[in-house]
Amino acid sequence: MRSLVVAVALAASCAGVSSAQAFDESKYPDWAGEWRLGPPTKWDPSKPPGRGQEAPLTPEYQAVFEANLADQAAGGQGTDPTYICIPDGMPRAMNVVFPMEIVITPKTTYIMIEYLSMLRRIYTDGRDWPGDQEPSFMGYSIGKWVDEDGAGRYSLLEVETRNLKGPRAFDPSGIPLHKDNQTVVKERIYLDKANSDLLHDEITTIDHALTRPWTVMKNYRRNRNPRWVEAVCMEANPHVRIGKENYMMSADGYLMPAKKDQPPPDLRYFKQIGK
Amino acid sequence: MRWQLAAFIMAGALATSSGTLMAHHSFAMFDQENPIELVGTVQEFKYTSPHSYLLLEVKGPDGSTTVWNLEGRAPSLMARDGWTSKTLQPGDEIILTIQPLRSGAPGGSWNTSIPKFKDGRPLQVTP
Repeated sequence: MRSLVVAVALAASCAGVSSAQAFDESKYPDWAGEWRLGPPTKWDPSKPPGRGQEAPLTPEYQAVFEANLADQAAGGQGTDPTYICIPDGMPRAMNVVFPMEIVITPKTTYIMIEYLSMLRRIYTDGRDWPGDQEPSFMGYSIGKWVDEDGAGRYSLLEVETRNLKGPRAFDPSGIPLHKDNQTVVKERIYLDKANSDLLHDEITTIDHALTRPWTVMKNYRRNRNPRWVEAVCMEANPHVRIGKENYMMSADGYLMPAKKDQPPPDLRYFKQIGK
Repeated sequence: MRWQLAAFIMAGALATSSGTLMAHHSFAMFDQENPIELVGTVQEFKYTSPHSYLLLEVKGPDGSTTVWNLEGRAPSLMARDGWTSKTLQPGDEIILTIQPLRSGAPGGSWNTSIPKFKDGRPLQVTP
């Protein structure tokens, strides 16, 4: 059942990772398999999408969100940057549009999200925040295993993620995060007490675009017989951004307008035929 | 180019046959409130990421042919429902509900639809 964890631990050992402290898999929870979050894609699964999310945005960022919604209503992408294959980043990555796999090793827990081929590394070796790490979409995550009931086996992974870069949004409706990218994401990941095929991730986002910390609960369902699929976003993405506008490629490779009455892009650097 | 597809236009609510939207991006560019039905011939079924694409040859009311670029779900989702890259083949004649680009250009989305073969054959999809 935990063959994957064993295999990864063994591989790490063979690769020369210090074995001074042997990996005792019985101390860790069984999170193997494929974890899915049902549709539709929205940040707070318990609320309707868009304005229905009731995101606690500051007045400034509520205005950003409203402008985004107006642009989307016209066929634009608003503040959602992912249509050109920019990764979700944190915390949006935990929307897990396609399934994820969690691999636990003694010093690092990996969350591999099939969608946009996103990888999270959660360091559980007791390290402190690095002083010289460049920001990234997935950020820098430090975790701590907790044995909640003293049963001799960890049941909860507490994670804090910092050092993020943008642009990012919470979900496709374009709920914005602050441009200063000072987002802090705190998570509590644990199995349901009554159903071991249900994984909870309580996610709290602290961001200057918000008036208060915003906590949502993601509930992932397990498939114990995974069927992994490669998902490379740049393979055939027909959506392009030129200037501030988004367009779509046609079947024969030409540019199509995405919005009604959208003008063509500025061709100032091309010699104009007929002028 | 503005397509007059009066023969194919389906008025009314979104006619979808399966699933709820799993979004790679905002689908606002597609007019989800005014879906249309296309009848056409598969030129190519691109089983690609981040979305699959159907290049569908469609005859307009005036007899001219246009190839539509139609965005479907991702293989990551389709494979788990039993789709493969061979589920649709060039030459297949299908009926498909799409959400067209708001611009009127020959593009759209069939993220929430399942095509039907024109001759009534069932789609071979087994999870």
